[in-house]
Amino acid sequence: MKRIVLLFLGGLLIACSSEDDVTSPDDSSIGTAVNFDRATMLAHWADAIIQPGYADFLSQLQSLETRAAQFTETPSEDKLVSLQSQWEEAYTVWQKISMFEIGPAEAVNYRLNINIYPSNTDLILRNIQEGSYNLNLSSNRVAKGFPALDYLLFGLAETNKETVAVFSGDQGSAYSVYLMALIADMKALTETVKRGWESGYRDTFVANDGSSATASVDRFVNDFIFYYEKYLRAGKMGIPAGVFSGAVMTQNVEALYHGNYSKHLFLTGLIAVQDLFNGKGYGDAPDGESLAAYITALNAVKDGADLSLLINSQFDEAKSMVAILASFKEELLQQPPLEFLKAYDAVQRSVPLLKVDMVSAMSITIDFVDADGD
Amino acid sequence: MKKIIVLLISLLISMTACTRNNDDDDMMVAVSTPETYSFSRDGNSTVSFSGQTTRIQMANEIINRMKDFSATETTLHNMFSNKNNSFSNEALNSSSKNVKSKTAASKDFFESNASGSAAVRADFEGWLTAQVDEVFPAQNTVASEGIAGQIADGSSTRYVNAKGLEYNQAFNKSLIGALMVDQILNNYISTSVLDAGSNKDNNNNDVVVDGKGYTNMEHKWDEAYGYLYGTSADKANPNATIGSDDSFLNKYLGKVDSDSDFSGIAQTIFEAFALGRAAIVAKDYTLRDAQTAILRENISQVVAVRAVYYLQQGKNLLAAETPDYGAAFHDLSEGYGFVYSLQFTRKPGTNLPYFSRAEVLAFLDQITTGNGFWDVSPATLEAISTEIASRFNFTVAEAKD
Repeated sequence: MKRIVLLFLGGLLIACSSEDDVTSPDDSSIGTAVNFDRATMLAHWADAIIQPGYADFLSQLQSLETRAAQFTETPSEDKLVSLQSQWEEAYTVWQKISMFEIGPAEAVNYRLNINIYPSNTDLILRNIQEGSYNLNLSSNRVAKGFPALDYLLFGLAETNKETVAVFSGDQGSAYSVYLMALIADMKALTETVKRGWESGYRDTFVANDGSSATASVDRFVNDFIFYYEKYLRAGKMGIPAGVFSGAVMTQNVEALYHGNYSKHLFLTGLIAVQDLFNGKGYGDAPDGESLAAYITALNAVKDGADLSLLINSQFDEAKSMVAILASFKEELLQQPPLEFLKAYDAVQRSVPLLKVDMVSAMSITIDFVDADGD
Repeated sequence: MKKIIVLLISLLISMTACTRNNDDDDMMVAVSTPETYSFSRDGNSTVSFSGQTTRIQMANEIINRMKDFSATETTLHNMFSNKNNSFSNEALNSSSKNVKSKTAASKDFFESNASGSAAVRADFEGWLTAQVDEVFPAQNTVASEGIAGQIADGSSTRYVNAKGLEYNQAFNKSLIGALMVDQILNNYISTSVLDAGSNKDNNNNDVVVDGKGYTNMEHKWDEAYGYLYGTSADKANPNATIGSDDSFLNKYLGKVDSDSDFSGIAQTIFEAFALGRAAIVAKDYTLRDAQTAILRENISQVVAVRAVYYLQQGKNLLAAETPDYGAAFHDLSEGYGFVYSLQFTRKPGTNLPYFSRAEVLAFLDQITTGNGFWDVSPATLEAISTEIASRFNFTVAEAKD
């Protein structure tokens, strides 16, 4: 008898599971038929979030260049500290724009040119020694960007005093030239991306307001989730913690040489994701249409609760669980790093909400599949 | 027969309950259960599960190496994660696969539970370490209460820790749950994996994976199949040799099937695999998911029956006037692993195992407390057996012989 009941229930559940647990009152309507204007959301993203973000980042890089020039001209500990703190500022702002890998950014592989870690320190040193290198080569991506700067500013020596000695020593000018070249490369890439938005892509992006797989919202949402899953969740936490390999890889944390900035960078990235989700304007820019508002317009609920509230409270939970960690590096010394993994789990729990529930409410198809190693 | 009627009724309900389900048309086409697990497209086989075969072979080498007193802790750990060419079989060394990364790694149970996954992997690595640290040095010590060493089991010699537990048995039987059962029930036959991304659209339109002959959905189902039949003599007709093709799930499905109270379970499981795969080919996902429910119920039951069987065997041996401790400990060591494996079972229609990790650890704590197997009471073993059986569709009496 028990078996019959079980099977019976099983049949019921199975019958409804193919459409997921997300429902909206009129399931036959697709996203655009609901009272929600995709073009307004796209314009808000472009004008109040993405472009102000690029502008802020570019000005951060300009400051970085100025301080690097001051430091390399007459290296001192004071100037090094000032340069290091500007590196922190710029790296923080990067976390707010890294997710926009679409259009001009996608065309130049922006993210992979600015922030591949761990960097290859042998290659960095070889480039400095030889003095001839082409930073446009993809093989040099592991020797440039923020991670390479991390090494040059925090990883060359134990103390700032010794780092200053490197930059004022026999080979000081070779180090200085490389440092300046790295910043110039980041600046040039950023100018290209920013200009791309200003000279045409913004309008293309906003005009492509349909709901096909190649429409801006569909593509942007895919890129957004891909960023969340692969770069924020896996890159900054999962891979260093050995979630996929089973082996902790401390050397894979972001900002390895700084040693105490990984958590800050992660949280900045997570907050940026949540702000984008809620349509919060960048800096002083106004708030506007958002994925959260879109979900509300679709009236999407999961297990009886408003889906956008569920997603926001999941982001909140992740933020508070990560916030109580120390430096990341410290937690990863535990075997296994259970506290770190619990925080990771809270970050992971947003993935199905975004990747299954949100996109199914919006009738967006996910265009990337997990490779599980089989 | 009753089962078939119920299934039909539940299918009928599914058709009326969810009218927006556009798979309904497919229900009208009868999909029959294939006699063998052979599927092809354009004349080429679409069945592939070599990665599962590889992992079963790796797991087999690991449990054998745990009984080799020359093995070091490093060697055993390297084998678990396939590092530094630690296998004797070169093909395994050059493989990109490893056992550890698929241990407690299912999408349904562990994707959002990395800390739980790490805890399980730490258990397995702990058994490898303890085997080298506690048991190997006591190779020529006679085991006694609180003392690790060797103990006779008939003509065999077993090597146990201070509580009477054989770590190699704990590892072996626990891996049935953490690797095979978890990957099958909570990963590859789950809608979360089968229908991920564009799998359904691609399967509907026969879009195959780049460079392969199969659709992604077909392949996922095959990978589930491979964790049970990956080393079978005839992989298309595995029941011909069921029970003798590995030391893991295949072996114990054979054992349960040979108990007259459960005979036919091997055929039920094979048919569900074959019909589920045929349903994928026919694009009938309701039928496919009905097979998932059958597999979850029956494969979970295999684990539970063996857990109860070994606890009962151990109990009876310990209750004898002059207990055969060696034989009892061997059974209890196997039972330990099967109880551990219960946390990876799957109640059909839920996202839960039949027993949670916390419940499983509480059982294991009861049988290993104090001097462990040396002083565990028959009443404790009986109580745990009863509790396990009560959540399944069998009795302790049916499982115990």
